[in-house]
Amino acid sequence: MKPSAVDAVIRGLKKAGVSIVCYLPDSLFRELYPALDTDPDIRTIRVTNESEGAAICGGVFLSGKRAALVMENSGLRASVEPLARMGLGAGIPVVMLMSYRGELGENNWWAIPHGITMEPVLNALRIPYRIVTEEEKVERAIMDAFSWSYAAYYHSAVALGGSVVR
Amino acid sequence: MKRFDCMSVLARRLSDELVILSLGASVDEWYNAAPHMREASLFQQQLGCVTPQAFGLAAGLPHRRIVSLDTDGGMMFNLGILATIGNEQPKNLLIVVWDNECYQSIGGPPTHTASGRVDIAAIARGAGLTRAYTARTVEEFDTHCAEGLAAQEPYLIVAKVAGAVQPGIRRKHSDGREDKYIFVRHVERTEGTVIMGPSEHN
Repeated sequence: MKPSAVDAVIRGLKKAGVSIVCYLPDSLFRELYPALDTDPDIRTIRVTNESEGAAICGGVFLSGKRAALVMENSGLRASVEPLARMGLGAGIPVVMLMSYRGELGENNWWAIPHGITMEPVLNALRIPYRIVTEEEKVERAIMDAFSWSYAAYYHSAVALGGSVVR
Repeated sequence: MKRFDCMSVLARRLSDELVILSLGASVDEWYNAAPHMREASLFQQQLGCVTPQAFGLAAGLPHRRIVSLDTDGGMMFNLGILATIGNEQPKNLLIVVWDNECYQSIGGPPTHTASGRVDIAAIARGAGLTRAYTARTVEEFDTHCAEGLAAQEPYLIVAKVAGAVQPGIRRKHSDGREDKYIFVRHVERTEGTVIMGPSEHN
């Protein structure tokens, strides 16, 4: 990611009121994670898998603070169980920011499953999402996801692809 | 050692704390053992979700003591959370693992701890929770509750309990959604904050 794209993500998170980020690092967001770690206004919590991160974000919601789950889109598959239970069973929302691995242009064979499964999994869980491939639309997308999730009390997602992450 | 007796001694020590608890029969037992904690307790319906949510709550409210009432099946489902808590070292999180060595709510098939080889407290210590213990009597459990509720580091108690459910307890009629609203309104009232606020009228 370019420094300007990293800044756009962090600006969006802050404007949405986020003070805690749970993440499992990936390669497309590699510049984002250290920037989050060093930001004085954001506490980062590194998790062992994205499922755990989703559940921690649910707990943060209950505290009144705002959290985001940041991950590669493969992490969505790992998160499905707590997302289904918390979202559909209790109305506890998690806002996700994920890198779009496997979109057109992908040149790694191992990332193809992430692209093929991302939208069907989001649709299966009825999670609204926005795919953002232009840097100037990142900040607004993150703020919109939080607005929606705090009106619906359900999960939402922003997937960053294209020139934003490559 | 009966889980209900452990819950009763723990409940006597609680007033301002917030509790996240696991699924199954322990939910009804807790609401009977700790009626004064009804609004301050939220049950979660998923194995592996209880302690992560309690930790998230602890991260968001660092001045408030949070209690996770997890289970052997739930903890074994997601051991990674112990490593995360070991690294993060929250000062306000007490974790109780009701270890009855079985999946009680589906009729009692054994969990991995039933073999006698798997030791959740030892796993927790290996993950960096240095204060992780196993209690086999109600007195031991009560002593650990006192220490755990005052500790300035994460504290974990594995309570070795029988597989029987307390007879004659009232069932809870609310679902996860109603319970969430009750819990959130309690947090809002006691923290003076707004979590689920009014709509915008625009």
